[in-house]
Amino acid sequence: MSATMTTPGEFQAKDYKSDLKPIWCPGCGDYSVVQGIYRALAAVGRPPHEVAFISGIGCSSRIPGYTTAYGFNTVHGRALPIAQGIKLANPDLLVLAAGGDGDGFSIGGGHIAHLIRRNIDITYIVMDNQIYGLTKGQLSPTSQKGRTTCTSPYGSLENPVNPLLYVLAYGAGFVAQASPTDLAGMAATLEEAIRYPGFAFVNVQSPCVTYGEEAQQIKGLKAISESLSAIGHDPADRLAAMDLAQHYGEKLHLGVFYKNPEPPPTYDALIRERQAQLSQGALPKERILDLFIKK
Amino acid sequence: MRKDLVFGMAGSGGDGIVSAGDSLLQAASAEGYHGVMTKSFGSQIRGGESSCRVRISTDPVLNPGGNLDVAVALNWEDFLKFGAELPVAGTTVVIYEAATGVPENQIPLVGVTPLQVIAVPIAAMAKETAGTERAKNTVVLGLIAGWFGIGGEAVMKGISKKLAKKSQELVEANQKAFDAGVAFAKSHPLKADMTVVPSSSKGAVKLLTDGNDMCAAAALFAGCQFFGGYPITPSTEIMQFFTNHVWKYGGAVLQAEDEIAGIGAAVGASFAGKKSMTATSGPGLSLKSEMMGLASIAELPLVIVDVQRGGPSTGLPTKTEQSDLFAAAFSAHGDVIRPVLAPTSVADMFRTTVEAFNIAEYYQTPVIILSDQEIASRKETLDPIDTSTFKIINRLVPAGADLQDYKRFKQTENHISPISHPGMLGGTYLASGIEHVESGAPTNSGSVHQRMNDKRIKKLDPLKERKDLFEITGNPDAPLALVAWGSVAGVCREALQMAQAEGLDVKLMVPYLLYPVAEQTYRDFFASVQKGLVVEQSHLAQTFKVLRMHLDLPKGLQSLARSGANPFLPGEIVAALHHLLSELQRSHEGKLQPQE
Amino acid sequence: MAARIDFASLSLMDALDLAVLIEDEAKERYEEFAAQMDQHRTPDAAKFFRLMAVNEAKHGQELADRRSQLFGGVTPTVTRAMVFEVEAPDYDQARAFMSPRQAMKAALASEVKAHAFFVAALPSLKDAKVRALFEELRDEEVQHQALVKAELAKLPPDSGLSDDDFVDEPTAQ
Repeated sequence: MSATMTTPGEFQAKDYKSDLKPIWCPGCGDYSVVQGIYRALAAVGRPPHEVAFISGIGCSSRIPGYTTAYGFNTVHGRALPIAQGIKLANPDLLVLAAGGDGDGFSIGGGHIAHLIRRNIDITYIVMDNQIYGLTKGQLSPTSQKGRTTCTSPYGSLENPVNPLLYVLAYGAGFVAQASPTDLAGMAATLEEAIRYPGFAFVNVQSPCVTYGEEAQQIKGLKAISESLSAIGHDPADRLAAMDLAQHYGEKLHLGVFYKNPEPPPTYDALIRERQAQLSQGALPKERILDLFIKK
Repeated sequence: MRKDLVFGMAGSGGDGIVSAGDSLLQAASAEGYHGVMTKSFGSQIRGGESSCRVRISTDPVLNPGGNLDVAVALNWEDFLKFGAELPVAGTTVVIYEAATGVPENQIPLVGVTPLQVIAVPIAAMAKETAGTERAKNTVVLGLIAGWFGIGGEAVMKGISKKLAKKSQELVEANQKAFDAGVAFAKSHPLKADMTVVPSSSKGAVKLLTDGNDMCAAAALFAGCQFFGGYPITPSTEIMQFFTNHVWKYGGAVLQAEDEIAGIGAAVGASFAGKKSMTATSGPGLSLKSEMMGLASIAELPLVIVDVQRGGPSTGLPTKTEQSDLFAAAFSAHGDVIRPVLAPTSVADMFRTTVEAFNIAEYYQTPVIILSDQEIASRKETLDPIDTSTFKIINRLVPAGADLQDYKRFKQTENHISPISHPGMLGGTYLASGIEHVESGAPTNSGSVHQRMNDKRIKKLDPLKERKDLFEITGNPDAPLALVAWGSVAGVCREALQMAQAEGLDVKLMVPYLLYPVAEQTYRDFFASVQKGLVVEQSHLAQTFKVLRMHLDLPKGLQSLARSGANPFLPGEIVAALHHLLSELQRSHEGKLQPQE
Repeated sequence: MAARIDFASLSLMDALDLAVLIEDEAKERYEEFAAQMDQHRTPDAAKFFRLMAVNEAKHGQELADRRSQLFGGVTPTVTRAMVFEVEAPDYDQARAFMSPRQAMKAALASEVKAHAFFVAALPSLKDAKVRALFEELRDEEVQHQALVKAELAKLPPDSGLSDDDFVDEPTAQ
């Protein structure tokens, strides 16, 4: 861990909880997610003011405001582009990004591949509820085929995106899944994701109590959940992870699908190296126009 | 002898005519002349038609000039494609490739009898001396040196420097081609002496660069530490210059996955406390509009450069236009004011860019620099700029008492609230695109929304009092007036001088601040105006309309507007002023001699 | 990683600290639930959750007093990071417009959950004093259940109607 990390135990989960009252419906899975984030941050121990928490638009994207970190509730689908600018501008910060399945895999679906290939050290948490809750229950990119919603009254004709397979295929170094069915497991997974030096993705199955289907509520999720460590999955095995990820939607595998055992250098670390190399003998900024002198 | 010469040269990309223009300008600059070079291309990546216009003068150059003094056509098909961009007149010497087979009395320029027409076996001379037709451009440079006295030694010095890395043979071959051009010129003297007066400032230090590089350099000087963007013609060189240098100053560049991510990363970097920017052209500006709204409501400093090209949509990617004013001022939904600045030349691109950062940082707002293809890609020789005379403004950061119960969007007398950034103890807050109260907490209260809109809009009011963002020349009480910005301003500056020389009582306003509209400054300017022109390269006359939206314009003020890629010439503006003057005189005549 | 509780090596001091933390977590969760109910215009449930928070706080305080009598200011070794929803109701238990009956049932489920926690832990405990404490806590959960059940019994009979049949549609944001 980097030297700027403070001693664990110095911060408690409640130090990351803000005074803002969530707008989320009581019973929403996102309450557990934010609780899991408080606990993960406390375990990592970075002070709140060194954490930048960026989100898009959607119910779940309200989450930064419920923490005491520097928050930025941006525009729909653009949490990742903004988060990467923050991390590149100040690599010392701990940067979290979060949003819903629509934010991450529909309107903002083009960005995730690029963050993965750049390997910027950001933890991206998607609160996946298979529905658009904020706009009252429309089809989402992870809604099951055949699902009826107000925009698919005769049943959806589309196959859902598989978020896990998607990020695994693009080569993310850390891919995990969590759910409010196991808060302790979620906090541990989030902590591991934050500690992973590189882009880390955590899909959280977070039920929508207002528009979610019965099978996707806590009880239904518990019935299909299975701990990856309990079934003996080796998180270093990317192909096995992809194999398991194919069961997204039928099974709820919890824990780490894939964790690169030898994390490559992150983009932000490489930037620092480049800055250090090139700063030698740089022209003072006041004399930058000397570059245009023709003799 | 001449003090000022305008060259226009065209050929196919393989003729190397643009690199000849570069060599000519560099040589002229080394000899102490002032100069401007603009380029214009067809849409092919390689081998399309290409042209350049080089203006060289003993005095500072205001624009790329009007009619050509010297036209060089390596083939007629390509030359003619540029139409009004390379206007030939009765004062023009036309030099063209003899191998085109066109007789000197039958050149395909309808309705014009040039001063002199000379067919030169340029390709043959190149082949004979350098062993390859590729050396045509060097022959042309020899012809120019021979006939017009520009760049004799300096041209070959520049070429040798460039080619020496490759081989000495190449240098020698070019020297022979050059000498052949000079010799041809000497043996075929022109009817009139068109040699240029030697410059008095030979040996003085000069800068030579284009608008895009100048913009990036100015941004670095202003302390910009982050660029997020996406390649788009004609703005890409800003990102390229930046990425060559910014690392040295602890900054970074992100070539993002798309235009939205480019500005998004820049918004993020600004939130993280760094001065940041993005650059684009029309299509990219359209895509970035939602993020511009976010930066406005989150009150984040950000500089957005829009190098305008012909629109809508892909439009004319390689040609200049001024049709993005509406988009710059009004794109993105909601009630918002976004300052828009425009440089008029490479030289003032420095000042405009530094000013854009200062305004962005001071007022915590996105600022748009409306550059255009001409300024972006034209090369100018400049006198050195004393950077120590420029003040750099940084955002107001909370300290001491501000950090006790910190309120990011605190209402203050000047509506500007201290802004913290991640990493700052005591400054944590929620930034958001959603309406918020002073602390940053989201709200949907109508009264808060009204107050916050007030804050965000009123904080920019002082900008409208900034007289230094307007250049007014000519008699302040003149009845005739011109208004122009961007690259068209330079044409109007020359038109003003020409009109004044012809005895017209006229003045010119060049706004560097386009938006918000500084109503009082315009009212004061228009007070004496009875007739005038707002000159712009926009079919819709966007500038004229924006002014009319904010002001009661003088009845005699008219719009002189047309689409991009159809440059204005100083002469036609003077002619238009004469026309206005005669209208004005007729109206007075009626008053003085009432009809019986 | 989040620390796990090692029941086998739990000392009496640790066990008391743990019990305090469990009550503390439950108290915070009930306060959070009360706030959620305030936020979503469900005042009766809010009132009940606030009552539960007070109860948990009171119980927590009693345990804390016992701990300080026995062990004074000795630095604890167990932390909140070891406690995950032992007696705190699951977030899933809350609903907008929930009736007092539903709120009480949620609390009852939490007491049942806490009871199960102590029952499950008993076989792993090595220290007799710790075992005694856990048995005591387990039995208290039974008493709490009885209290909540008594409260439930005081309510008028359930109409069988769902509040969801009467309330406004959710609002799009």
